[in-house]
Amino acid sequence: MLRPTWRTRDLRVVLVGVVFLLAWIGIGYRLFQVQVVEAATFEADGNDQRIRYEDIAAKRGTIYDREYIELAVSVDLPSVIADPALIADPAETARVLAPLVGGNVADIAESLSRPDSRFAYVAKHITIEQEKEVEAEMELAAECRSGDYPASCSAALDGIYMRNEPLRVYPSGDLAAQVLGLVQQDDQKGLEGLEALYDEQLTGTPGTKVLERDPAGIPIPLGELLIEPAVAGVDLRTTIDREIQHFAQQAAADAMVDTGAKAATIVVISPRNGEILAMASAPTFDPNDRGSIGEAIEAGALRNRAVTDVYEPGSTLKVVTVAAALDSGIVTPQTGWWVPAAYEVEGKEDPYTDVKREEGRQMSVAEILTKSSNVGTIQIQERLGNDLHHEYLERFGLGQFTGDSVPGEVPGLLRPVNDWVSATAGASTAIGYRVDVTALQMAALFGTIANDGVWVEPHIVSEMIHPDGSRDVTVPRQRPVISEATARQMRELLQGVVEQGTGRRAAIEGFAVGGKTGTTEKFLPEQGAYSEDDRIASFIGIAPIDNPEIVIAVVLDSPHGEVQEEDQIAELQFGGVSAAPIFARVARAALQALGVAPDLGVAPDPGAEPDDQ
Amino acid sequence: MSLPQSHAGDRPSLEVIPGATRKLRPKISHWILFGFAVIVAFFGLIYSRISLDSSAFEIQELEAQIAVQEDLHWQLRYELAQIQDPARLEIEIAQLGLEYPAERIGLSVPVVGIDQLDPDYRWAQLKAILSAQP
Repeated sequence: MLRPTWRTRDLRVVLVGVVFLLAWIGIGYRLFQVQVVEAATFEADGNDQRIRYEDIAAKRGTIYDREYIELAVSVDLPSVIADPALIADPAETARVLAPLVGGNVADIAESLSRPDSRFAYVAKHITIEQEKEVEAEMELAAECRSGDYPASCSAALDGIYMRNEPLRVYPSGDLAAQVLGLVQQDDQKGLEGLEALYDEQLTGTPGTKVLERDPAGIPIPLGELLIEPAVAGVDLRTTIDREIQHFAQQAAADAMVDTGAKAATIVVISPRNGEILAMASAPTFDPNDRGSIGEAIEAGALRNRAVTDVYEPGSTLKVVTVAAALDSGIVTPQTGWWVPAAYEVEGKEDPYTDVKREEGRQMSVAEILTKSSNVGTIQIQERLGNDLHHEYLERFGLGQFTGDSVPGEVPGLLRPVNDWVSATAGASTAIGYRVDVTALQMAALFGTIANDGVWVEPHIVSEMIHPDGSRDVTVPRQRPVISEATARQMRELLQGVVEQGTGRRAAIEGFAVGGKTGTTEKFLPEQGAYSEDDRIASFIGIAPIDNPEIVIAVVLDSPHGEVQEEDQIAELQFGGVSAAPIFARVARAALQALGVAPDLGVAPDPGAEPDDQ
Repeated sequence: MSLPQSHAGDRPSLEVIPGATRKLRPKISHWILFGFAVIVAFFGLIYSRISLDSSAFEIQELEAQIAVQEDLHWQLRYELAQIQDPARLEIEIAQLGLEYPAERIGLSVPVVGIDQLDPDYRWAQLKAILSAQP
């Protein structure tokens, strides 16, 4: 046998060495390529497979009433979702899930029968009880898959998952619905009301996180990295008093039934600080009931009529004419003159007249307001002059936005004094025509009289509460409009309206109240003329009149019919007949809710006299 | 039975070899200590890593629980607000047969609001009035 020589063995060793060397060189080259030359590409590819950036939704801010009770709040509720591509038998899956989530078998089966799709909702926002039932069923299915209970194995819930999704809910249903507004269901974007006006603040800032997932898409434990935390939205504390709001809404709804009005608006404000305690419009809607929103839009139920709808205030605006004349010293409450039954003004075919007064007579300023005399008020305006009259109307805030915290507000219309060219302009304005106002503007106007002549910005958001606990407190604008003495005189005159004049139905047992009635023909913009049948009936009042706590504006759109009273039949189209009793009803409830003690003598309980003890 | 005999007399006596260097036995105790330290460090590292991971899992679990509790908190607040809804309360009140009093009864409390009077006297008077109420 030929023994290998040393040379042959050396050659083999060298050959093997060369092969190994070449292999290492190849590996090294590839490593260099992977680690250095194409490192960035491979890193990106790896990250794409493993890492996912996810947005962290910011919690939408809560809207509270004045006592920090939720009016609008976002809650995370579970939804049942599916990957239709993984569902083998949609009908069987639907049969299992439908009774658990309270859905329709056919509807669920249809949504699951789309194998091209990778996502479908089985049920949105289920209850906690339903969640528990679905979870139990899913756990059972998981055990089946693991082989522990092969007899009951079912593939029905393969591809079914649950995830929490935010839902905007309004715990009190239709309470202050138009004020709060509503959000889009999917992305919670504000659409109406405070939800829309403060959408940016309520939304907050979404955060970002990085998630590492394994090839099956399951998150790797500890593979979660928070890059940017979500910042929750700002909470709003409103000035709404839920109890008063409820009473106001109920009164507005009843008014539509009792008077046949097309719509009713009630505003309750606190004159001292401008806080809006209630703002009710009827018809209304329930923002939780998404199915009824379309119908509500058609019925105009989404409108916050207290700020979106304008009307000519009629006789309620006479208070400005009289207050301006008193404040500028042109008249006193006792100043009197002859007030004819009919008063002709150049340029107007028909003379101005008073309702239910056929003969001229001597009247004082106090009587003119108490009896709501058109002719007398026009005579006061003539003494006042257009410029001064217009100046006071402006100072009372007409033709301007009341502020910036009330959503959907319109400024109304107060024509510049330069446009008061016709001879009837001043006269008509004096008795509440040619001026368009909102119910809120009128409430603020009467609030000025209640607040010793100082106009205070009506507002509905009292503070914004940031996630870090800091607060932006609303400081309402204020401006003096009339003197304190004039305001006091006006309150006395308004008390006279309720005690002896057109507003007697606004009286409340135990409290001295004041206010003014208003009835105007309804202007129909599409026809460019006043309606022959429809009227706007209103009453705006202050209670208690000596130490005002609330101002309430009641506006009814087109009340019809009559009401039988003790000795007469009264027409509901008049503010004193239809709107004044609503004021009384709301004022009584509001004063009780606010804990205001009666200021008039009420029958004392003899048993409570300390002398009896 | 005989005792073992001493062999001390057979053992060659120790002698000094001139020029020979002393051969030291390798000291293995240091190596044992070093090895022990390495093992401890190795297991310590593993233990700390396991502890860290375990803590991270606990934190993850706690965070999940916090999220669940937060959800529950808001759901309960929502339910509370629903329960306090004036419209719901009104229905409940009606079902209980309660209604606003038709007539208003004034309470005459002469001692209230008079600051000059002794508070104890005022309180005694007030208690007397309140206890007289039906």
